[in-house]
Amino acid sequence: MPVDEAIPSVRPAPAGRTDGTPPRQRVPRARAASRGGRRAERLAPFVLLAPALLILALLRFWPLLLGVNFSFTGDGDRNGLMVGLDNYRELFGDPLFRGALRNVGLLVLLLPVAVAIPGLLATFIYLRVPGHRLFRSVYFFPAVLSPVIVGAIFNLLLAFDGPLNALLGGVGIGPVDWLGDPDVAMFVVVGVHVWATFGMALVVFLAGFATLDASLLDAARVDGASLPQTIRHVIVPSLSRTIQFVFVTTMIGMLTSMFGLLYVMTSGGPEGSTYLPEYYIWIQQGQMNRPALASAASTVLFLIMLVVGLLQISLLRRAVREA
Amino acid sequence: MKQRAVWSAVLVAALALAGCGSATDTRSSPGGADGKLVVWDWKSGEATAGAYLQKAKADFAKKHPNVTVEFVAQPYEQYYTLLGTAIQAGKGPDVILFNGGGQIRDRADALLPLDEYVAEDRQRLAGWEAFSKDGKTYAGPVTLQGHPIYYNRTLYEKAGLDPANPAKTWPEFVANCATLTKQTGAKCLALGNKEGFGIQFFLSAFGTGVFTPQEQDDWIAGKRDWNSPHVKRIFALWKETQDAKLNSDGANSTAMFNDSFAIFQSAKAAHVIGLMSDIGHWKDFSEFVTAEKLGVMRAPVVVPGATPNLPYDGGIGYGVAKWTKDPKVAADLVRSLTSTDALKSFYADAGAIASDTTIDVSQGGPAVATIVADLKAGKPALHVALSSKTLELMGRISQQLLSGSITVDEAVKQLAASDQAG
Repeated sequence: MPVDEAIPSVRPAPAGRTDGTPPRQRVPRARAASRGGRRAERLAPFVLLAPALLILALLRFWPLLLGVNFSFTGDGDRNGLMVGLDNYRELFGDPLFRGALRNVGLLVLLLPVAVAIPGLLATFIYLRVPGHRLFRSVYFFPAVLSPVIVGAIFNLLLAFDGPLNALLGGVGIGPVDWLGDPDVAMFVVVGVHVWATFGMALVVFLAGFATLDASLLDAARVDGASLPQTIRHVIVPSLSRTIQFVFVTTMIGMLTSMFGLLYVMTSGGPEGSTYLPEYYIWIQQGQMNRPALASAASTVLFLIMLVVGLLQISLLRRAVREA
Repeated sequence: MKQRAVWSAVLVAALALAGCGSATDTRSSPGGADGKLVVWDWKSGEATAGAYLQKAKADFAKKHPNVTVEFVAQPYEQYYTLLGTAIQAGKGPDVILFNGGGQIRDRADALLPLDEYVAEDRQRLAGWEAFSKDGKTYAGPVTLQGHPIYYNRTLYEKAGLDPANPAKTWPEFVANCATLTKQTGAKCLALGNKEGFGIQFFLSAFGTGVFTPQEQDDWIAGKRDWNSPHVKRIFALWKETQDAKLNSDGANSTAMFNDSFAIFQSAKAAHVIGLMSDIGHWKDFSEFVTAEKLGVMRAPVVVPGATPNLPYDGGIGYGVAKWTKDPKVAADLVRSLTSTDALKSFYADAGAIASDTTIDVSQGGPAVATIVADLKAGKPALHVALSSKTLELMGRISQQLLSGSITVDEAVKQLAASDQAG
């Protein structure tokens, strides 16, 4: 415990005494009182921690354990019976769930794009392209819309007989079934998600830019660096921590808050191509009446998030240490 | 970092250990306080259900003046999720509104068999089959839900076809479609298969033109021969409608509710397989396709020997939770909710074909009259007999059939496996 180490360095005291009072200078009664005080003092941190720990234990870990426990029981006729790993076996045998996991992989692969877009746009705003004030607010605007509204808007825009296809038809390109073609739909949904959420990341980037040392940019300009060179050698290294942060938050956003969009835009289709674990869980629990299987899927999703989260934390740590 | 790794290892170990713990407790606890019944539905919030509930409550109050009834309207989108939670907890509402078919059968464990209470209503009401499992009845039907093939008589007239004489055979139907599209520019069928519902309606409506009556009965009874050429014919027919360009564009990205119905209403397609109650039906269409201009036809005969009929089942109905305190009182509430008077209001206000066959519908226009006349010869819808799991798979496979990424043989094979497993 860092606290234990800190005290002796401030107030040297014999071992075993944490309150730092010199021994043998107290009358017995005072010693007794101080012993009680010491006990209270020793307990104090635990008492102060208790509410937080209790809330965590009761409302987080206990339900988590119950959920995991539940995932080892059966559904329907076997309700309440222990079935071992049956649910997990079924889960990984289900092409739909495997597809959902593949889509998670796809999201991870698309992550750099989702981070690069707000990063680049923020750079342009920082470099004061004409109209940058307008863009700053316009870019943020979608972030205040709920996924359902965003989904509904894009449903209309991307409908087979919708305006986008009409536009494409106008320039002689055949209509694309944006939300009906399994090879295209997932990218469309991710694209819409990025469109709807990049405003937040943009704001974070702009905040990062505020800490950027302007003299470095001036120096680069004086040295005749081109825009790509400036971005590569000045902006990216200076903003490494901001970029890391945006990576983490964007990843979490993609894995946990695409449900609304999926629900409204594709319902997991076409042909099951836009399933994500979240959506799968919801379908199994709500539509198929398979709560135990849904628990198993939740557990898998939890483990994925745990691994991704730990990886990102360690990456962040390393980056901070290097910075 | 090391400490974190240790802690996460401990956490994972604890989670694994938890798996060895006890099974879930599913004992039911008594729900419903004295003199109070709680009803869950997704209807009572709608204005059109007001008069219906008023009458049902009044009827119930006559029998049990001391019992208060509380209706809790849940959002339909989350209805079965919320209900699933209540069932897991073993407590919740006393009386529960259900969709017929898979939704109630999957949850029959949590419900009380009502046979002894509803014996008197057997003859008066139709649609019991959809609320029964293994010979026991779990709910009293409120509406009938079916899948008539509606057509736009105006488009028929414009195309020079006789609206009183829709096609009787498949070749005739395809020829009519060609004429319709050529003369009016409208597609033949409005199809929305984004959620995979399109195939369900198609199977039930056009399936009656492929199956013999015996095959239909067997299918409903659970004796489904997925290897029979007729089953394959239905799925081949589904693909054919797409290949022959009968369907409206972008079916896989068009939502059935309500985009496909909108296509029909705006006369961009001449036919649509709709519903009888709630939504996507004669009353819904009447705003744009008036009652006189709306026709209802039976499926064309695809395979000789088939006698096309109207596929219908119990639509929605009220069941009683097995944890209710006094089953008799709860069952009486179900009976009040299915009384003739109450159902008459439901038919008139919400535009539903009520389960009570004694209600007079002559004011509703030719489409309603045809539907009600067809009820007698009608049979349960084919898709309702399938489990939710198979239906979900069928939805995905039907999209693959439309896009051509799967063969009919492979599709039927996968469906057979799913149907026989469940």
